[in-house]
Formats: sequence, C-alpha cells, structure tokens
Amino acid sequence: MQLVVDPVRHTTSPLVTGGSVIGIKCSDGVVIAADTLASYGSLARFQNFSRLLKVTDSCLLGGGGEISDFQEIQRLLENLTTQDFCFNDEHKKSPRSLHQYLGRVLYAQRSRLNPFWNSLIVGGYVQSQSFLGMVDLYGTTFESEVLASGFGVLLGLPLLRKAYRPDLTVQEGIKIVEEVYRVLFYRDARSINRIQVATATVDGVTISEPYSLETKWDFKGFVNPRSTYDESTW
Amino acid sequence: MFRNQYDTDVTTFSPQGRLHQIEYAQEAVKQGSAVVGVRNKNYAVLATLKRTTSDLASTQKKLFKIDDHVGMAIAGLTADARLLSKYMRTECLNYKYVYECAMPLSRLVLRVADKHQIATQRVSKRPFGVGLLIIGYDQQGPHLYETSPSGEYWEYQAMSIGARAQSARTYLEKVFETLNSCSLDQLCRHAILALRETVAALKDIDLSTKNCALAIVGEDLDFTIYEDEDVLPYLDVIETGSSQPMDGQSST
Amino acid sequence: MFYSLSTLLIPKILESHTEIKLYILHSHFLFYTHTHTHIYIYIYMASIGTGYDLSATTFSPDGRVFQVEYAQKAADSSGLTLGMCCKDGVVLAVEKVLLSKMLLKESGRRVHLIDQHAILAVAGMGPDGRQLATRARQECEQYRNIFRMPMPAHLLAERIAGYVHVHSLYWHVRPFGCTILIGTWDGKQGPALYMIDPSGTFYRYYGCAAGKGKQGAKTGLEKLDFHQLSCEDALFELAKLINAAHDESKDKPYEMEMIWIKRDLGKASLVPPNLIETVRQRAEQLAREEEMAD
Repeated sequence: MQLVVDPVRHTTSPLVTGGSVIGIKCSDGVVIAADTLASYGSLARFQNFSRLLKVTDSCLLGGGGEISDFQEIQRLLENLTTQDFCFNDEHKKSPRSLHQYLGRVLYAQRSRLNPFWNSLIVGGYVQSQSFLGMVDLYGTTFESEVLASGFGVLLGLPLLRKAYRPDLTVQEGIKIVEEVYRVLFYRDARSINRIQVATATVDGVTISEPYSLETKWDFKGFVNPRSTYDESTW
Repeated sequence: MFRNQYDTDVTTFSPQGRLHQIEYAQEAVKQGSAVVGVRNKNYAVLATLKRTTSDLASTQKKLFKIDDHVGMAIAGLTADARLLSKYMRTECLNYKYVYECAMPLSRLVLRVADKHQIATQRVSKRPFGVGLLIIGYDQQGPHLYETSPSGEYWEYQAMSIGARAQSARTYLEKVFETLNSCSLDQLCRHAILALRETVAALKDIDLSTKNCALAIVGEDLDFTIYEDEDVLPYLDVIETGSSQPMDGQSST
Repeated sequence: MFYSLSTLLIPKILESHTEIKLYILHSHFLFYTHTHTHIYIYIYMASIGTGYDLSATTFSPDGRVFQVEYAQKAADSSGLTLGMCCKDGVVLAVEKVLLSKMLLKESGRRVHLIDQHAILAVAGMGPDGRQLATRARQECEQYRNIFRMPMPAHLLAERIAGYVHVHSLYWHVRPFGCTILIGTWDGKQGPALYMIDPSGTFYRYYGCAAGKGKQGAKTGLEKLDFHQLSCEDALFELAKLINAAHDESKDKPYEMEMIWIKRDLGKASLVPPNLIETVRQRAEQLAREEEMAD
C-alpha cells in the first residue's frame, strides 16, 4: 500500500503571458496603457490581444501575466457588474472598491497556493478624484501616482517618476506612456510596438484602438551591436 | 383561540392561500413594545420604549448598532433580533472587507429580508418573531426600512411597529410630509411625540429617561444611541407637546 | 362525495351563470371563480378537513394536490400582474397595492431585473418571488459563465419551473406562493414571455395575467394584436387593463410598476416613472370619459 501521496501541484509558471502595464494619475483623470502582445514563452503568439478592460463607466483595468487567469478575472468582474445592474439601486462599484475586491480575490487564490498569475492595474475617475491602484499575484494592494508592472517596473518607473507632476493632464499622460512603451519595446523582448491607451476622465472611460508606435532603429548600437557591447553590457 | 388545522406549520397553506404561522409571527411583533422611526434629508432617527420585568432588572434591549452607518430598533422576540443583528453585522463587515466601503442599506435589508423568507418555507424552521426598523446612511442619504416576519420589507419616510403602534402611525401620517424640511432637533421631537402616543392611553406610564431610548444616524453622525440621562434633552418635548424646540428656535 | 356534490350543483350554476361552463369541465379550476363565492365554498366542503389537503406530498382520492392549489390561491392574492410580448420587446406590469401612504416610491418592488436581457414580475407572495428572482439571476450567471452568451428564454423558464416544481414534491418545504412572469429579449430569438405557476407548470405567451382580477384582464388581452403592438403602445394598454381591474371606491391606492426589455434599449430596465405616470393618467382620463359617455 502506498502511503506517500504526491503533493498537489497547481500552475507553477504562467504559459501565455502579457507584458508590462503602465498607469499614471493625472489631475483630470488617469491613463492606463498596455501593449497588445500575448506571448507563448518566447514566441510572439497573439499580436492583437487587448489587455485593457472597461469595468464600469468610471473604472478601468489593465492586466499583465497569465492571460487565461486574466480572462477568468474578467469573467468575475462581469458577474459583479451584472449583479450591480440587477439591484438597480444606483450603487455602482467605485474604482477603490474594485481594487479592494481584486485584492481579496487574488489573496484568496494565493492562500490556496493556486494564485492568479497576474499583476493588475486599476484606474478610475469618480467625483473629480483620480484613483490608481495595483494588485499583484500575492494579493498585495497598493496605490501610487505612477504604476508599472513586469519589465515596466525596471525600465518604465524611472521615466514615469521623472515625468510625473501633480498637474499633469490626461493628454500629457498619454504622451508619457507612449514614450515609456517605446523604451520598453527597444529593450523588453516580450513586448510589441502596438499599444492601446485607456483613459478614465469626467467624460467616462475610453479605450483606444490599438496603434503602432514609431520606432527608430538607426541608432549606432542597434545597427552594429558589437560597438556598444565593447563599452558596456547595455 | 382561532385554532384551525392549517395553522400549526409554516409549510401548510390554508384553503384561502394563507400561511397562518407567518400571521402569528406577525402577532409577536405587535406584542413587543413600540418603536418609531423617522427620517429627513440628512438624518434618520429611532425612538423606542423599553420594558422592564421588575424594578431590580435592567430594561429590555431595543436598539442594536450594526455598523457605523447602520442600526436598528426591534419589536418582538429579542433573541431572534440578536440572531439577526449578528447576521447583519457579519454582512456589513464582510462587505467592508471585500469592497472597502460601507454596505449600501438597500442590499443589507434585502439580505436580511431574504433570510426571513427562508424561515417561512421549511419545516425545520419557524418564522422570525420580530419586526425590525432599520435606519442607516449611505451614498444615497438616510434610509428607514421595516422588515416583517413574512420576508417583506419596505422603505418609509416614517413608520412605527410594536404594541399600539397604530396610534403612533396616526400621528406620523399627519406630519410625514413635513419631515424632509425638519431640522434634526425637530425630527427627534416628532419621533418622541409619536412614541408617546403609544403610551398616551396608559395611566401609569409616561416616557422617561428610564424607559425611552433614541438613536440617530446621519451624514456627519455615526449611528449613536442616546439613553438614560442622554435622552433627557429630547424629552422636554413632552411638556411642551410641540415639535418646535422649547427656545422657539428651529434650525433647518 | 366531491363528485356527487358538484354534480348536484352544476344545473344550478348553469342556470344563473352560463359562462362558468368551462370551469365545470375542469373542475379543479373552480377556485378561480371568485365572483361565485357561495358556489365554491360548497365544493370545498367536499374535500377540506379530510386530511388530504395538509401536505404537498399527499394526493386526494380524486387525484388532486390541494396544497399546490392553495398555493395558487396565494399567488392570486396580490394585485394584477400582466405581461405583454410585443413585436420589439416584452413589457411586464404590476398593480402594487400600497399599505401606507408613508411608503417611499419603488418600495417593495415586484418587478425585478434578472440579467441584461431578462426581466421578472411577481404575483402573490413578494418574498417568495424575490427568492425565484435570485435563483433566476444565478441561472443566467451560470449560463453566461459557461457559454458566454445570454441564457435563452425557454431554458431559463424551464430551469425556474423545475425549481418551483421540486418545491411541490417534498414534505419539508412548501410550494412557492407566487406566479411569476419572465420576459427576455435576445438578438437571435427576439422577444419571449413565459408564465410559471406554483405547480411548476409553464407556458409561453403573447399576453398573460396573474393575480387579482386576472380573468377580466385576460379578456382584455385577447383583443390585442401582439404582432403589431410595440412596447411603447403596450404601456398604455397595460395601464388601461390595470386601471379597469382596480375599483377606486373599494380597493386601496396602488402604484403601477412596469419593467421592459426592448430592442432599441439593448438591455432591460425599469420603465421611467414619468412614462408610467403619463400612461396611467391617460388611462384614468379615458375611463372617466367612457363613464361620462355611459
């Protein structure tokens, strides 16, 4: 009789993944952006996948990490908004509530040792207040003026912090995240120069169609990589 | 009494399609001492009459705080009310844990009313023998709800349940249209005066700091219970018999 | 005993109320003839108190389940509830009796949103109806979770009817004391209206009525052409039927509640209060004019 039972194994690594998500808080709203790539390992598998979501008329979600987990979260949020719709009592979930809800969901999953393998950025604009918050796969929740996930933490955050001002407008915010994605595309091998930018403002939530960023490849180091390698690892 | 063969079980309809057990549970609400609830644009107020079994005993508990923004007054079986208050407190806490905000009143009351309904459909349960007046303040302003053992619930401008509540309702029906323009002070006075109607016919009872308790919740005020000497300032209305404050000033 | 009594009564009924014939043929529907109270009491006498009517799990010797029939009585105890399946959607309406003038508008609502594409109205015991609404929401949610599309009307009606039906099968629960109307619209199948009674029986309808005064309302519904009727027009027809069922001198004041799902709105919603008020006033005005003309 076998007495030793193998331990239960859940997903220990993500399969189809999205890369960085970037968020920036502005005086008149928030901007969240993501590129449209869903990679299968190192393969650029799905090049037109939207990782941005309109949750309510005032709230946005951007997701990186395991795509199927992100779709499951999308389903949970649809159930939640349908329930609110059925109550018909004018109580819609605020961005802060949704942020907290996602935190509880991801924390509960990780406590079952079966995490949703995502980093999520929640943004919204309610009663002239911008909200920007993040949830990671451990269920950690935090808020900040600028947020990034994935490689964006390493390559994007310094740029975002430098560019951030409390009086930024949404239009300026869009320019900043475009610049961040350009940099990410040059260095992050799991990225693509096709992005979507979403905004939450007093006019509600809009998610742009995917569009391509202009890139320049005539930089000496790109043309002849050896010349830069001589000077540094970058 | 009115005994018939269809009245001993919640799961048995009478030939007229009635459920006598629910109706009897509603009688239990009428046996409890009276409670009054009123609201204006910014506040909701409860006034309650507390009974005592003996001079050596404490008074019955009529007011329950559920959360910072919700509380209730009960008429009927106190033990049933305690069970329900525990359920409501848990619901509010869970909601706050998941959504980081106070539970909307409409959803809390719906849940507790659904709990009442379930107790009317199973052999293993009996209907709750208690009526609740629930007040609270949320994004939509102040609310006053009544729940019944049948699982029904309603939202009111003003309401009273419990023993001789009809006399309080008669008073309230005269004034409820003016309540929205009342100050908090006037609102409390209306609540006290309505409550007093329920004891007006009794010779040996009048409202006092011993048997009367008040609760208020509003835009800038968490659910707060006023009893013993704290209720004294609100009782002066009994002398004047008017909803106007004694000093004649009414802030709106 | 039952048959002999009712057989005795038939000639007497036919004598004074010829329109009652139909009910005699379906004798177990006799309870619905409210206007002939003295008659149905005789027929009751044959079976009540015999012990065959105390549980939903007991058949009477003549093959009836009395507890379910009593639940149907409960379902007809509330205000009139109507449904119309129009060319561009479904409208449900309820005559909600107001027990106190201190009640706020929309308090104790009897019409419910089930999903983006589905609506429900309750006749009878409101709390029982809420339980079924909750169940219907769960069914729709589960269907969406699996198939990522709105639940088709016939499946929703079948699931809820099944749920209602199992409550007539066990001694430890009672049947639901309500009849519910379910309306849906979906892109593929268009509008659909179903009515489910406490036995779990359900049919699809163009127009249906439950609650107090449903007989009169049914007659009114049969005069309408549902292939031509739009939701907008249906509001006025519903208001007229509810107004006709209501006796102002005798009955308590009531609130008209309406809910619809129609093509151009895309998702279900309560009919705006000002629209309801308009059609209600028009219906009352029309009734007054007709009275004057008489």
